[in-house]
Amino acid sequence: MILSIHNLGWSVRGLPIVSGATLDIQEGETLGLIGPNGSGKSTLLKLMAGLLEPSAGEVRLKDAPLVHLPRRAIAQAMAFVEQHAETAERFTVRDAVELGRTAWLSALQPWSVQDDAIVARALVDVDMDGMENRLWHTLSGGERQRVHLARALAQQPEILLLDEPTNHLDIQHQLSILGLVRQLPVTTVIALHDLNQALTCDRIGVLHKGQLVAVGSPHDVLTVGTMRDIFGVAASFLTDPADGNRIIRFHPAF
Amino acid sequence: MTAQAGFARASRLAWTGRVVLAALLLIAAVASGAAIGETSIPLAVIAKTLANKILAAGYPLDAIDEGIIWNYRLTRTIVAACCGAALAVSGVVLQSLLRNALADPYILGISAGASTGAVTVAIAGLGAGLVSLSLGAFAGAVLAFLLVALLARAAGGGVSMQATGQIILAGIAGSQLFNALTSFIITKSANAEQARGIMFWLLGNLSGVRWSDVWLAVPVAILGVLVCLWHRRALDAFTFGSDSAASLGIPVRRVQIILIGTSALMTAVMVSMVGSIGFVGLVIPHATRFLVGVRHAGLLPVSALMGSIFLVSADIASRIAIPGQVLPIGVVTALVGAPGFAIILVRGRRIR
Repeated sequence: MILSIHNLGWSVRGLPIVSGATLDIQEGETLGLIGPNGSGKSTLLKLMAGLLEPSAGEVRLKDAPLVHLPRRAIAQAMAFVEQHAETAERFTVRDAVELGRTAWLSALQPWSVQDDAIVARALVDVDMDGMENRLWHTLSGGERQRVHLARALAQQPEILLLDEPTNHLDIQHQLSILGLVRQLPVTTVIALHDLNQALTCDRIGVLHKGQLVAVGSPHDVLTVGTMRDIFGVAASFLTDPADGNRIIRFHPAF
Repeated sequence: MTAQAGFARASRLAWTGRVVLAALLLIAAVASGAAIGETSIPLAVIAKTLANKILAAGYPLDAIDEGIIWNYRLTRTIVAACCGAALAVSGVVLQSLLRNALADPYILGISAGASTGAVTVAIAGLGAGLVSLSLGAFAGAVLAFLLVALLARAAGGGVSMQATGQIILAGIAGSQLFNALTSFIITKSANAEQARGIMFWLLGNLSGVRWSDVWLAVPVAILGVLVCLWHRRALDAFTFGSDSAASLGIPVRRVQIILIGTSALMTAVMVSMVGSIGFVGLVIPHATRFLVGVRHAGLLPVSALMGSIFLVSADIASRIAIPGQVLPIGVVTALVGAPGFAIILVRGRRIR
């Protein structure tokens, strides 16, 4: 098991945000986390990344308790793309992506040509090559998100934790980023809002009021019942004549 | 492979060149600090003095000139250089860690604590003459910093975005408290002469600096700057906040404690020696960012160099600005620094 959580809980001032979450993540799979606003998706991801200390249960990275691992070792195995990470500094795109190499360099080890190549590759992967010298504050929201993803790729992790990586992207880049994530040989846990995008994941975990209420294949989990009970909408499934895949259409639940 | 070796050699060469250039600039600054003053002394005399003192070369020199250079100007210039480097680097580190452009080395209550310590010794008479002004100031600075750190911790300061705000608020509370204590002691116990003397000290004063101070200032500044340089990549990693730094592999709390502690200690040592010289720790980091960018591998050493040169120049200006009178160096740094900073702000806006 590359990443597993057991009975994981986190509460703030006695108010449980996530509770009793148990999940084993298989090597190489893409696991989508879905749920309404405030259902605990971001908190669960932060717990998995070790950025929050669990108030109950534990996270294990390759069978080692996360709390016992040094940050550097965690960062070499796992990269995390937050939802809102901003800076007021005059940082360039290249500067931001180069940060991804931090866990692989030490104080005495100089930056090498390999690091340059990894950074260049990450920029190409997110379609930001040629924009290396643009300053952070001149980038659009979607471009910033792609740079953050490139930074995570430059980290060369085995596990990618992505918190709604597509929510500022135009449709072309939504599809290309999701395609890239699927095709990368890494394990991915990805919080998503767009349920049609979630349909393309290997497995889906549904969060509701801080609890992992269902985990399974999109076919088993994304049902009319889930839509009604968890998301409060009526849904109907259509088949796309172009490729025969299912899509979901939503209606207000009256 | 050969390209890579060539790359490495070229970058090593470039680095050596830069280090030599920095050393030359620093030596030039210190030499001018020794040469320029109410009476100018030719550089040749300075070189001969150094040769006499260090190598026992035995050049025949005017004893007064030699004394002025060796005991008076050289010491204050070297301490000014160390102080400038330490304050500028502390400013860089605190601005980066607290993610606040207005952070400076005194934001954690250090200068306020130092002045309280100084007046407690000089005016309230604590220690009955056994404790020196510097020691009192150092104790005050450390005490104030510990108090601020405790308060910040109790208020939940630390890792998250709003927690860096808590550190700054704790610093403001601590500074206000210790400044009020200083004023209280001065108004309660000081006579006019003492009040004037302490005001000069508070504005920064290099006149009392001797070789013993040099032997403290040089290692503290060098060690402090090296500790910060060692963490240059960690400092870069804080650009997008501490959560981002943690996920990049930085042990956030440990790095915060080491770096804030180092800056605080460096600042406390400098302040206890020469008083609280303002503006260097705030302005030099910003000015340097406009020159070399925000990555700490360049920002830290260049800030240290700029801080040194700036403070040595300010010291020279403070000695020659008004004939027959030495201005407090803090006045000069602010008089030059404030308009300089204004220019940087306006021009920086245009570059954006």
